[in-house]
Amino acid sequence: MMTLSGAGRRRWGAVAGVLTGSRSTLIGFVLVGAHLVLALAAPVLAPYSPIVNNGALPIDAPSLAHWAGTDQLGRDVLSRTLYGGRLALTDTALATIGVIIVGTAVGCLAAYWRGWFDEVVMRIVDAVLSVPTILALLVVVTVAGSGTWVLMLAVTTVYAPAVARVVRAAALEVIPLDYVTAARARGERAFAVLSREVLPNILDVVLVETAMRASWVVLLISSLSFLGFGADPPSPDWGLMVAENRSMLAVAPWASLAPIIALATLVIGLNLAADGLAKSLGVDRMRGGVA
Amino acid sequence: MTSISGGGISRRTLLGAGGAAALALGLGACSSGNSAGSFSSGAASGPARKGGVLRIARPPASSGELLDPASSLSAYEYLGALYNRLVRRGASGETVADLATQWEPNADATQWTFRLRQGVTFHNGKPFTSADAAYTIKHILDPDTASPQAGVLSIVDPASITTPDDHTLVVGLKTPHAEFPTLLTHYNCYVIPDGSAASIGRTGIGTGPFALKSFTPAAQGEVTANPDYFGGRPTLDGIVFSAIADVQARVNALLAKQVDVLAQTPLDHANAKAVQAGADATVTEIENAQINVLPMLTTAAPFTDVRVRQAFKLAYDPASVLTVAAQNYGTVAHDNPVVPDDPYYADYAVESDPDKARWLLKQAGAENLRLDLYTSNYQSGFTPLALAFKASVARAGITLDIKNAPSDSYYTKVWMKRPLCVSYWYTGRGIDQLLNEYFGSGSSYNETAWKDSTMDNMLGAVRREVDEAKRKQLYQDAQKYVVDNSGLLVPFFGSRLTGLSKQVVNYAEDGFEFDYQNIGLKA
Amino acid sequence: MIRYVLRRLALAVLTVWLASLGIFLAVHALPGDVATQILGRDATPQAVAAMRTELGLNEPLWQRYGDWLSGALHGDFGTSLVTHQPVADELTLRLRNTLLIAALAIVLGIVLALVCGVVAGLTRDRWPDMLISTLSLAGMSMPEFVIATLLALAFAVAIPIFPAVVTAGPDATVAELLPALWLPACALSVVMAAYIIRMLRTSVIDTMASEFVATARLRGLAPARVVLRHALPSALLPTVNVVAMNIAWLLGGVVVVESVFNYPGLGVLTVDAVHNRDLPVLQAIALLGAATYALLNLAADVVAMLLNPRLRRRAVA
Repeated sequence: MMTLSGAGRRRWGAVAGVLTGSRSTLIGFVLVGAHLVLALAAPVLAPYSPIVNNGALPIDAPSLAHWAGTDQLGRDVLSRTLYGGRLALTDTALATIGVIIVGTAVGCLAAYWRGWFDEVVMRIVDAVLSVPTILALLVVVTVAGSGTWVLMLAVTTVYAPAVARVVRAAALEVIPLDYVTAARARGERAFAVLSREVLPNILDVVLVETAMRASWVVLLISSLSFLGFGADPPSPDWGLMVAENRSMLAVAPWASLAPIIALATLVIGLNLAADGLAKSLGVDRMRGGVA
Repeated sequence: MTSISGGGISRRTLLGAGGAAALALGLGACSSGNSAGSFSSGAASGPARKGGVLRIARPPASSGELLDPASSLSAYEYLGALYNRLVRRGASGETVADLATQWEPNADATQWTFRLRQGVTFHNGKPFTSADAAYTIKHILDPDTASPQAGVLSIVDPASITTPDDHTLVVGLKTPHAEFPTLLTHYNCYVIPDGSAASIGRTGIGTGPFALKSFTPAAQGEVTANPDYFGGRPTLDGIVFSAIADVQARVNALLAKQVDVLAQTPLDHANAKAVQAGADATVTEIENAQINVLPMLTTAAPFTDVRVRQAFKLAYDPASVLTVAAQNYGTVAHDNPVVPDDPYYADYAVESDPDKARWLLKQAGAENLRLDLYTSNYQSGFTPLALAFKASVARAGITLDIKNAPSDSYYTKVWMKRPLCVSYWYTGRGIDQLLNEYFGSGSSYNETAWKDSTMDNMLGAVRREVDEAKRKQLYQDAQKYVVDNSGLLVPFFGSRLTGLSKQVVNYAEDGFEFDYQNIGLKA
Repeated sequence: MIRYVLRRLALAVLTVWLASLGIFLAVHALPGDVATQILGRDATPQAVAAMRTELGLNEPLWQRYGDWLSGALHGDFGTSLVTHQPVADELTLRLRNTLLIAALAIVLGIVLALVCGVVAGLTRDRWPDMLISTLSLAGMSMPEFVIATLLALAFAVAIPIFPAVVTAGPDATVAELLPALWLPACALSVVMAAYIIRMLRTSVIDTMASEFVATARLRGLAPARVVLRHALPSALLPTVNVVAMNIAWLLGGVVVVESVFNYPGLGVLTVDAVHNRDLPVLQAIALLGAATYALLNLAADVVAMLLNPRLRRRAVA
C-alpha cells in the first residue's frame, strides 16, 4: 500500500503538465530518447562493424562510404559512435542505479535509526567526500583493476555519499510525520516502514538526484576512459575514442568530434531533463554543488 | 697526444672489412617497405649557426631519476651530452673509438687491453685516467648500483681489472669473449670519475661535449658547451631539457614552438600527421629503429608447449599487422629480432600459415584458444599493435581479449608476469648483447623467461669462437633456433618518427645514440 | 553559537583523521609496492628487498601509521619515498602553483558568471538569455579534457598567444608561470562558471519577481540601481555555497587540465604519487584536501547561519 500525503498527490499531478509545457524540458527528453533509440537500433543502423580494422583506409575524411570518416586503424567512426551509445547508456544506467540504491539505502537508514549509526555513517560520508575525487577514484581503480564492475564500484564510491546526505536530509523531514510514527508504533519492521511510508514521499528527491547524477556519471565515466582507467580497446567507448583520436584533432577532427558531439548531446539531454523534473517537483537541484 | 678525429674510423682490431661490406649490402637490400614515405626527408642538414640553445622535451623517467649512467633510473637523454664511453657504436653498427683509442684481446680472448685517450679532462678539471675507466666498470658490477647491465657484464672478473699505467686498462674475463668491447657500447657504460658513485646522480660530471649547469629530476635541466671537449667544441652553446609527461602536451609544445626536439617520443601515425601539419615543425623517420615484440611467457600456460608458440608465429600475417598497426612504416621481421642490416643477420623466415597453426594447436590440445593480450598507453603504438595482432590471429581460431593496463606499472606488473603482452626494444645494440640479453637464461631482460640449454650453449660457443666466418655461421644458427623455438613474437621493425622544429639541422640518432656534437640551429 | 562552531570544528578534525586513515589503508591495498616502482623495470629481487627494508616497508602497518600520525601532529610530513625531499617543501610549491591557477580561475569564473548570470536573469527567455543558457549548458556538458584540448589547439597552436605547456618545473618563479596560467584557468573557469550562471540566473529571476524589488521599482529607482543594490546581493547568497565547493574542487586537483598543459600542480603530483605508491605524499595530499574541504564547508555553513536567523536557532536547539 502506498501512502501519499495530499501535497504529494497534487505535486505528482502537476509533473506531467510541466514536463510537456516547458520547451527545454521537452528538448531534454527528446535528446535522451533519441540516444536510446539510436543505441537500440545500432546493429541495424551502423554501416560497418565497430571493431574491424581496415589497413587500406586509415584516417580517411568523411565520405559517402564513411559518413563520419575513419580512425587510425581504418575503423568506421560513425559505426563506433553508434555502438558507443549502447555502452554509454548501459554503463551510465548501471552506475547511476548503483549510486542511487546505495546512497538512498544508507541515507534512509541513517535518518531512520539516528543515534550512533547515523553519527558513524555521516562521519564516513564526510570523510569520503573530503578526499579529493581524483585521489579516491585512482585508488579504487588501481586497487581493483579495470572493467565495467570496477567502474561501477569507483563511481559508486565517489557519488553515493553525496546522495546519502541529500536523501538523509529529505527523509528526516518525513520520518517525524504522523503516519510514519504510527507505522513504527504498529511495530512494523524498518524495511517495511521505509519502503512503504518514507520512500514514496521522498521519491521526488530521489528522482531528481537520479537524473542529475546520471549526467555527471556520463562525464565521469568518459573522463576515466580518457585517462585510461575505463573500457579496454577495441571498445567503442566515447571517452576512449576521444583519447585515441585527440592527437590528430587538428588534421582529422572527425574522429574525435563524433564522440564529443554524442557525449555532449547526451549530457545536455540529461541536464535538461533533470532541470525539468526538479522544477516540476519543486526540488532544489543545485543543493549538491559541483562534483 | 694521439688525436683521433670525430670517430668515423673503426679501431677494432679483430673484425676486418667483411663486416662493413655486408653491412653496406644489407642497408641497400632491406630498406623500409613503407608505401607513403612522406616523413623520411624531415630532418634538415646543412650549415648551422655557431651557438644557440636547443630546447628538448623529454618524458621523465621517474620522479627519482638520476644522472648516474649505470642506474636503471638514468635520465637517459642527458647521458650522451655529459659523458663518453670507452667505445661506442658507429653509424653502421661497428665498434668505434671513444675514450679508448685501441683495444685488443689476448690469444684466447679472456683478457682485453684498452689504450686510453690522453689529455682528456672531466668537467671539474681533473684529468681522465685508467683509474676512472676501471672504476666505471666496477660501479656497474656493484650490486648496490643495481645496474641492468650487470647481468650482461657478469663475465667480467672485477678482481682482475688492472691499470698498468694511467692510460692502459686491462679487463680479465671469467669466460672468453671475442666481441667483448661491443658490450661496453651500451648506454649504461658511460665513464664516470673515480669514486663518484654517491654524487654522480646529481653532479653529472663527465668528459662529454656539454657540462651540467642545473638538473632537477622530472623537471628542467640545462647543459652548456664544454669548450675543452677533446672532440672539439660542440656547435650549440647549450641545451635545455624539459620534462613533459603527457605525449600530447609534448606535441603541443613543439607545435607552439616552445621546444625544438621531442626526445624519446616515437610518434604514432596520428601524432606524426599532426606534427607534420604544424607550420614550423617536421617529422624525421629513422627506419627500423624499434623492435616491436609480443613476448609469450614460456613458463606460463599455454606457452610452455613449443607447439603453441609455433602456432602463434604461424597464425598471424606480419604484413597485415604492419599495415594496420603502423601504416607500413617499418619492415616485416618474421619473429627474428635481429635487424636486417646487422652484419650477422640470418635471412630466415617461416611463412605465415593459419591452417598449420590450427593443426599445431589441435596437436597441443589448445584448439579455439582464448587468451588475454595486455597493452598500455606506455607508448602510443602499443595498442594499435595489439589490435592489429588480435585481428590477424583470429584466422587461426585464436581469440584474444585486449586488456589495457596502467602505463605506470606496466613494466612491473604485466611485462614478464602475464602470458602475453605487447612490448618493444630499441635497435642499436650489437648482436651478442641482443641475443644474450633477450634469450640468455641468466639475463634479467629475458622477457620470455626462456631457459633453454641449447640456446645457452650456442651463445657460449659463439663467444669463444675467434674465426670470423664460423662466428657468423653460429650467430645465424642461433637466429634460426630463435625463430623456430623461442617465445618471442616479432611482427615488424618499426620506423621511429621523431618530431622536431624546422630550425634544427644535423639531427642524427641511431638507436640510443644522439649526435649532440653536431646538432645545431639553422644559420 | 560558539558551542555549535566548536562542535563542528571537532567533527571536522574527526573527518580529516578518518580520511587520512582511509587513504593509508587503501594505498596499502594497492598492487605493486614503492620499492619496485622506484627501482624500475630491471630491479633484481635482492635490490627490491634491500629497498623495502631501507624504506621501512617491513614494519607492521599500525606502527607505520602511528609514526606518520605523530609526525604529522608535529608538522612533520616525512620525506617522499621517491625524491627523498621533504614532503612539506614539495607540497608547498605545488599548492602555490595550483592556488595561482585556482585564484585566476575563480576570478575569471565569477566575473564571467556574474555578468552572464545577471544578463540572462534580466532578459529571461529573450535571445541573450537563450544564448547564455545554451552556452553554459554546453560548458557543463563538455568534458574538461575536451575544453582544455580545444583551448590549447586554438590559442597556443593555431593562434600562438599563450604557451601550450609549462616547460619549467614546479620550482618556477611566479613570473615564469604567469603566461602559462591563462589557458588552464580559462578551461576551469568555463566549467565552474556554467554552474554559477545557472544558479544566478534563477536567483535573479526570483529576486526580480519578489515584493521588495517591486516596491523599489514603484519608488521609481532606476532599473540598474535596483539590480545592483537590491537584486544582486540577495541573488548572490545561494551561490556562496557553490563557490566554496568549487574552491575545494579546484584544490582537489584538476588532473586532466594540468596534464594537458603540463602544469606542475597538485593534480599531477597526486597522479604521480599514486603511480609511485608514494605514501607520505599521498597522505599529505589527502590531509590537505580533507582539511580544505572541511573548513570551507564549515565556513559556508557559518556564513549561511549568520545570514539566516532561523538556521541559527535550529543549530542551538
